[in-house]
Amino acid sequence: MRTSMTQRLAAGAGIVVLLILPQLVQERYFLHIAVMAGIYTILTLSWNLLAGYTGQLNLGHAAFFGIGAYTSALVAMKLGISSWFGLLAGGGLAAFFGFLLGFPSLRLSGPYLAITTIGFAEILRLVAINWVDLTRGSLGLSGIPLLSPIRLGSWTMKFYYERDYYYVVLAAVLLTYYCIRRFTHSEFGVSLQALRDDEQGAQSIGINTSRYKLTAFTLSAFFAGIAGALFAHFARLVSPDTMSLHVTFDTLTMTMIGGLGTIAGPILGAVALTFLSEWLRTLEDFLKMDIRLVLYGLLLILTILFMRGGLVGLFKGLAERFRSLQRSRNIGVDHD
Amino acid sequence: MTDILKTEHLSKKFGGLCAVDDVSFALEENLIMGLIGPNGAGKTTLINLISGAIAPSQGRILFDGKEISGLKSHTINNMGIARTFQVVRIFSKLTVIDNVMAAMVDRRQKGPWRLAFESVTEGLTKGAGTSKDRDAAEKLLEFVGIARYRDELAENLPYALTKRLEIARALATRPRLLLLDEPSSGLNPAELVGQIALILEINKQGITILIIEHVMKVIMDISNRLIVLDYGKKIAEGDPQTVYTDPNVVQAYLGSESHAAH
Repeated sequence: MRTSMTQRLAAGAGIVVLLILPQLVQERYFLHIAVMAGIYTILTLSWNLLAGYTGQLNLGHAAFFGIGAYTSALVAMKLGISSWFGLLAGGGLAAFFGFLLGFPSLRLSGPYLAITTIGFAEILRLVAINWVDLTRGSLGLSGIPLLSPIRLGSWTMKFYYERDYYYVVLAAVLLTYYCIRRFTHSEFGVSLQALRDDEQGAQSIGINTSRYKLTAFTLSAFFAGIAGALFAHFARLVSPDTMSLHVTFDTLTMTMIGGLGTIAGPILGAVALTFLSEWLRTLEDFLKMDIRLVLYGLLLILTILFMRGGLVGLFKGLAERFRSLQRSRNIGVDHD
Repeated sequence: MTDILKTEHLSKKFGGLCAVDDVSFALEENLIMGLIGPNGAGKTTLINLISGAIAPSQGRILFDGKEISGLKSHTINNMGIARTFQVVRIFSKLTVIDNVMAAMVDRRQKGPWRLAFESVTEGLTKGAGTSKDRDAAEKLLEFVGIARYRDELAENLPYALTKRLEIARALATRPRLLLLDEPSSGLNPAELVGQIALILEINKQGITILIIEHVMKVIMDISNRLIVLDYGKKIAEGDPQTVYTDPNVVQAYLGSESHAAH
């Protein structure tokens, strides 16, 4: 649980690299993908809080993403106030819906909960398609304003280029990472994991599992809503597709391949698969066929069959094997 | 002596089956009461009722004079009743020490929202994990004799030790009454001796115990009082020696002669 000195140094170095990355690689296309990777990282981290740490298979995560995106976009377009308020409103409304979606989880679990949450996201997607007056239906909202400039005295920070969004999203990712790491590595997180492993056992030691589940749903949805809001102001186009099942399954695949129920896993999975899918896009143009989803599916199946702990589990296993090999060499005994 | 636990005409029906049928008994503080009976007699159902895992169909349960029948498990645990399970229910993907830590959270004071909020603010002011709790958890692991497995995943423990972990976890909630559902099932004779010593030691610390047990040696050695259930009904109650020779009890266990023929 405690972080060692080397871990701290590695984390510090990582943050420095992330901070100077836009100076090293100034290509706008690259930064665009980096921003999307960041948004997906917030999605996977928040989904993992529910699925990985609380054991609640929520397949309606895209709904929270979409609620955040639409809310923030509409606040900026219709009310004309600072888009930063819209960002918070997006997170807040998503959190509220997360709280509501938590209620079925008090009675349902496993596949039944999964189906219910899919239904929830589909209903919201249909609402977005049919509430034309507000959402412009399947055309979606376009021309969403950029993030409002921040003025501090005479100094103004504007958000126009990919690089500017890179820093905003990086800040959001770090904040999400910090919060979710703290949630999971604390008394709160231990309680969530306890109810994940055995609900009746958790109740027997005084855990009000209902309240913990509702809290986890609310918090998870909040961060997904923030991710959606950031996406809205970055892409400047929000359509009902933001709530479609494929957003949820992208999130799920990234988290599973990275490592469910870990902190590094979702980050690793989101970054790796976002860049991979961009690379595949060029390959698709060349092959003239849609292989991205095929590959995602294949990777997911392989992960479940041979790599249950995801990439993180794989690395941990290798490190463990390496350490025990070293140990046995030092003692001079054959490693059996 | 005061009665810490009392049931009055307690019944639980599952459809047409009366798993617990009009059971009344009282348990004095600081005693060890044994709960025995043939398979399917309703022993575990009775413990499930007291611990709040299920709600009674009829009757009342009083803990320390307060009615607890129908309250939720977590509320009942917060009031001071802890339990173990016949088939262990440990948190398999948590480490041994975290299994105990999960039970130590002061839930009488703090709900999930406050804990989540504090986890974020605490990270800013100090490191993770309060060491005071960790020390206490470690003491409990030492007490039940599994301290050296503290950082193992609970799922990697051998079965006998998971039973001990469950006891440590139950004790971490600081109960006044401990319900043990067959703590010695699946143990070999050597482990059995250790388990008996452990239960007596827990009782010495002032914790009242209600224990379900199939192994007669265990129940005769440790309990001050016995109650016997058969087909959901209480058929005998008293000190172990008297109950042991009670004709009703003998018949329930060995069957009448016509049963023996099968």
